[in-house]
Amino acid sequence: MVEHGDIRVVHCGGSKLNFRDPVITHDSRFLLCASGEAVKVFSTSTEECIHELRGHTGLVTGVLLRPSNHLQVYSSSLDGTVRLWDFTDGILIKTCVIGYPIYSFYASAKHENIFVFAERFQLVAVHLPQSGDQLVEARELSAVLSGVNPNPAAIAFGRGGEFIASVNDLQLEVYFFKKQKSYRFFLKEDNKKGGWNTFTCVACHPKDDCIATGHEDGKIRLWRNFNHKKEYTYSTLHWHHSAVSSLCFTPEGTNLLSGGVESVLIQWRYKQESERDFLPRLGAAITHITVSPDGSLFCTSHSDNKITIIQSCVKVSAVIQGLVKGDSIRTDLMMDPRSKALVLNGKPGHLQFYSLQRDKLLYNLDIVQQEYIHESGLQQFEVVKAAFDASGLWLATVEERHQKAAELELNLKLWAFDEQTQSFVLNTTISAPHDAQITAMSFRQTADSQTTLLVSTSKDGHFKAWQLAAPAHTEDYIQSVNCPSWLCDFVGAYHGLVPECCSFSADGSLLAVAFQEVVTVWSPATWELTFFFFSPPSISDLCFGRLSCSKYLLGTTASNLLCCWNLLTCSCKTSPCIKVLSTQNFFCDSLNRFISLFLSFLLSVFVFKPSEPRPLFSRKAVCSGKVTQAVFAPREEMLESCEESSQWLNRSQLYFLTQQMDLMTFTTKAEEDRLLASSKQLVIDDSVAMTPFYLLLGKHRQQQQEHRDSDSSLWAERTALPQTSASIKELLQTPAHVLPSTSYLCSMFVQSLLISVSDARSAHAEEEMESEKEEEDSEEEMESSRSKPELVAAATESDAPALTKAQARELRRVRKLDHSWLAGLLDS
Amino acid sequence: GDAEISTLQIVLFIADASSALEMAADGGSSSLQLPCVFSPKSRQFLALCAQDGRLRIWNTDSKTLHQEYVPSAHLSATCTCIAWGPCRTVKEGPQRKKRKSEAVQVEEKADLLAMGTAAGTVLIYSTAKGALHCTLDGAHSGGVNCVQWHPEESLLYSGSDDTNIVEWDLQTGKTRSKWKADRAAVTSLCVSPDGKLLLSAGHIIKMWDLDTKEVYRKFTGHSTAVTTLRFATTRPPDSNGLYFLSGAAHDRLLSVWQVREDGKDKNSVVSFTLTDEPQHIDLVTSNSKEEAVRLAVVCKDGQLHLFEHFLNGPCKKPLSPSCTVQMSDTKESPMPIPLLAAVLGADTRTVMLAYGSHLQPVMEKEINTAERHVCLTRDVQTTLSLSMETTVSKVKTPIVNAKSKVLVPGLPGHQAPLKGTSQGSEKRKKDTDTKEMSIAERLGEIDLSTISEKGASKGTASLQTDNFAVLLVQGLESNDASILNKVFQTRKDMVIKKTVARLPLSAVLPLVEEVTYTFVLSYRASLMVRWLKAVLMHHTSYLASLPDLVTQLGVLYHVIESRVKMFHKLTKLHGKLYLLMTQVSANICSAVHSIISFKYFQMTGF
Repeated sequence: MVEHGDIRVVHCGGSKLNFRDPVITHDSRFLLCASGEAVKVFSTSTEECIHELRGHTGLVTGVLLRPSNHLQVYSSSLDGTVRLWDFTDGILIKTCVIGYPIYSFYASAKHENIFVFAERFQLVAVHLPQSGDQLVEARELSAVLSGVNPNPAAIAFGRGGEFIASVNDLQLEVYFFKKQKSYRFFLKEDNKKGGWNTFTCVACHPKDDCIATGHEDGKIRLWRNFNHKKEYTYSTLHWHHSAVSSLCFTPEGTNLLSGGVESVLIQWRYKQESERDFLPRLGAAITHITVSPDGSLFCTSHSDNKITIIQSCVKVSAVIQGLVKGDSIRTDLMMDPRSKALVLNGKPGHLQFYSLQRDKLLYNLDIVQQEYIHESGLQQFEVVKAAFDASGLWLATVEERHQKAAELELNLKLWAFDEQTQSFVLNTTISAPHDAQITAMSFRQTADSQTTLLVSTSKDGHFKAWQLAAPAHTEDYIQSVNCPSWLCDFVGAYHGLVPECCSFSADGSLLAVAFQEVVTVWSPATWELTFFFFSPPSISDLCFGRLSCSKYLLGTTASNLLCCWNLLTCSCKTSPCIKVLSTQNFFCDSLNRFISLFLSFLLSVFVFKPSEPRPLFSRKAVCSGKVTQAVFAPREEMLESCEESSQWLNRSQLYFLTQQMDLMTFTTKAEEDRLLASSKQLVIDDSVAMTPFYLLLGKHRQQQQEHRDSDSSLWAERTALPQTSASIKELLQTPAHVLPSTSYLCSMFVQSLLISVSDARSAHAEEEMESEKEEEDSEEEMESSRSKPELVAAATESDAPALTKAQARELRRVRKLDHSWLAGLLDS
Repeated sequence: GDAEISTLQIVLFIADASSALEMAADGGSSSLQLPCVFSPKSRQFLALCAQDGRLRIWNTDSKTLHQEYVPSAHLSATCTCIAWGPCRTVKEGPQRKKRKSEAVQVEEKADLLAMGTAAGTVLIYSTAKGALHCTLDGAHSGGVNCVQWHPEESLLYSGSDDTNIVEWDLQTGKTRSKWKADRAAVTSLCVSPDGKLLLSAGHIIKMWDLDTKEVYRKFTGHSTAVTTLRFATTRPPDSNGLYFLSGAAHDRLLSVWQVREDGKDKNSVVSFTLTDEPQHIDLVTSNSKEEAVRLAVVCKDGQLHLFEHFLNGPCKKPLSPSCTVQMSDTKESPMPIPLLAAVLGADTRTVMLAYGSHLQPVMEKEINTAERHVCLTRDVQTTLSLSMETTVSKVKTPIVNAKSKVLVPGLPGHQAPLKGTSQGSEKRKKDTDTKEMSIAERLGEIDLSTISEKGASKGTASLQTDNFAVLLVQGLESNDASILNKVFQTRKDMVIKKTVARLPLSAVLPLVEEVTYTFVLSYRASLMVRWLKAVLMHHTSYLASLPDLVTQLGVLYHVIESRVKMFHKLTKLHGKLYLLMTQVSANICSAVHSIISFKYFQMTGF
């Protein structure tokens, strides 16, 4: 098997957003969250991803704003490093190697150390060396607490970083840094009402000595007086009916926020706990709550891979939604032929439409249309199967509710796409279409693209063919008069065996249904069994070839064989038959005639042409986790690649989904080069922001400038006035707290007052340029082929004389200096 | 007499002149035309500046409002023109090596948007940040009529009422150069795809060399203000292969001009006919002679015209569109829905449309334009209400209305129609044929019965004395619902038994059919069971002798089977409920007892 060097596996989106709590920046403009091996920077107003901070080689396990500089952010990862980023520009500033995989980390403005939760359930304080190097190694490690909970919500800093609270199981531990002493408080395992007292999360009041803890039974306890071993007190708040998953105090400490499975955000008034505000219907269980540093924005992460941004507990202002992963992907990955979006089951009872090009969720289509009750342990309707027909006009969905093994509720719904309203419209609901679970569904594609036949196979041993037809009996009890609906046309079975999968041939003239080890081929016109193949182990997947390979029927078997039957010769020969190890799934390309195959344990991909026994392409270990699903997506623009090995990527792209919800794909080198060549970067100055204040100042400046222009002859002789010196302007405009010492500035100031030769020269140039010429507006302009160009270059730019090179360099150096030491001084 | 005539002539002349002036003034200000632009490449967004002066950006994938931006002073300094910047690519730090599993950062995201305002400023808005990126001002004294991005460098050109063109350097946010372009206001600009030439339209159309800022060519032809300029080919100017296109206000022709080497390019070479003045133009440039120029023009009257033409020298006849698309609503008297903008897809046959009002446009992808005239009917109201909901919750609810059919077990169609083994597919077809015949017959009969309603009611009254068997046969034959209803209402087992026994054999099958249909209507099932029982008791031998018994009784069989399937569960439920109810009533009794006794003790003063 050949390795193809120019085909790479690349990550193309879909990662988890709700793995750790997000962070809102000080100006509330950006939201940062850990997403796979990167940190994503989102805009809080537009929901767009602005940067992706990439560089970690392991899962990112935490994001924290740097306490001493609010434009920088730390991120920790399982690769054992802590990295410092500038998130506005997306630049990696520093990498600090710690050497142990980091599961979560904490920082406080009070401490220069950051606290890291590493292996063996230890909380370790790490001193990050202050050096200018890009890569530093942290050697000063000291253990603070041991036996802590790996859940990042279980540790919190108390009032100004004086103490740290950690909860684990039934124990609350408070460690005071000054006294170097820790107190432990225990709860009984079970209270008399049968609730669980286990701690789930902790939060500390920012101004007050108060610790809030959440519990498994939905209670919130507020602990006070905990700096004495004996005289501690706690009060209990109870609203949640199941575990409190996240707690958070607002920055001023006036409110406490809590959330859980109920998907309701609750705002408790601190010290008036009977008053509380609710923000219900947030869509899914709340996993994290964070508040922006100014308290204006709340943000909740949800279990359906969503981040909701809430304005002051009243209004949901933005929703950042990633690829939704339910408990499992019950429906396979599909492509919507109409919108070219990836379709799979999303929120409970919904189908999600996900744009692969933009890595963005388009919408969830509500299939079940029943209110979802947010409570753990309830069995509710879920979408388990879905199928599109080739033109995207019909969508078939299966929803099921599974209470006990015996009681199964099934609904098969058929939706028609209505052009007038640009929406799917329910055509037929078939309740209990089968007696047992439906294993596969397939639409028939006919030449005139009129699909009127759907086949569903079920574990009850039957397959049913549903046909779109006008109602046969026009009796009064059939309400829909003229609208064609779906009716059962044929029920087929084969010796009581269970059908596992079905497939229509490309022209719709044949239907193959695999009954365990027997593949039966039916003709849908007469419903006669035309022939059948027998293959010893049971067939797990079945598919017809397309286009030139339409005579082939392919199947994978449980004993790791890929079988290919030629239907023309009708002999049951399995001629191109390859022995492969543990096939898991195979996916058929609808546009061209390639088949890909995933091997679950080897994590390998093979791409075959049905007519040839040898794979066209093979790749081992495509990603770090298991591949769960894959799909061929048609390309918008066809690639022109002449290489034999990458021809299969010309018309479609293979996407696959890993267990970590990462979407991966294959790209060729040629494609990348093409994209790189076409892309260019636009650098645009964004310093000018239009504010009313700016307008005021700007007008004033303009007036000044005009004034200056009017008597420029006067100014030309006196350019060296101190006000016009740029370095002084710079000095006056820079905030005082970031400036270096006055002794340092003094020399620069004095220097800038001196008249330099270059200054005078530039002033003259300016004068020349500003002499305006009036264009002659005569009739001869029509005739003359060339009109004189009037060039008024850089008219507005020249208001300040340029700096000397040395000055500019000096200034740049000053600006680059680290002024964080000053912040420390101010605090103390 | 002469004097009168001359004064009249003068008056007429003045009137003419004033109307011409008005027309010119109207054409000069493009404020009537609201800017509406799709983002380049992937067409992810539609930027629209509506009548209220707000900029709205719509997502064409999810068809929802993506952003809304209110420029400060949006009412006085209204936005007159919009242009999307070249697609942004994410910046890559130079210090970092690319890792193997990382995709090349080539997400082509449309980000920046330049807006020219009536106050003479140019605003640059970032859609990624949802905020103003920067403001370019201080160069124009009149309103900005058009803005154009340079395709490669970070330069922006703006043309204004003050007759100047300004070249902005976006890296600094300052003007790089400014020159007077025309005697009249500059109404339109276009930068060539290679970024070397600039077209400007004022009094006349001029082509500028962007390196020297000198006039390269001049073109005259339009009498009204030129609103659109577009390069149609990407060939160099000295190859005789460079063409561009222009459209003007109140002009129902689009002109194509050839830039010829010899300079003999005074007149337009090709023209496209339209039904109204062009409002929005999308064009796919041709890169070679063998490639056709594709053009989509949305006119002011809301129609879309598609053209396809190989540009190769002059063509005398005006070209008519290869396809015209119109849109109407679904009301009984259809009203046209105006199209706002259209862009051509990568596939030659598809276009993407925006239609409806400027405040709430509807976007649609993949309209097939294979035919010459396409008329689409759309329900804009429903579409909008559906998409409004999606904006907040990201959940789309498909329409579920009364028209949708519900198939429950037992209804015909839930199970396949049963066929006897002897019958082939031909028999089945024949079956359906006869059924269709019978439908027609029945419909006719229903009509008759409604007409002779009086007589029927009389008949039933007189027939009351007759026995039930005759009545039933009559009812079955005439398919009279009222007679059948009357007969089926009986609850006396003896009557039913006797009636069925007296029934002629020919009426047995119709009775079974009728019973089956009534059976499906569940609320009369309990009555029907008795009839069914009686039929089976008396006529089993007859039924067994029927050759196509399976097809005749298939539905009935399914109905019974599906009902029996639930019987076990229902019995269970019934038992549980019964137990519960008895418990409750017992509890209530005891509670009432205790209350009464308590009251009694109270009253008696313990």
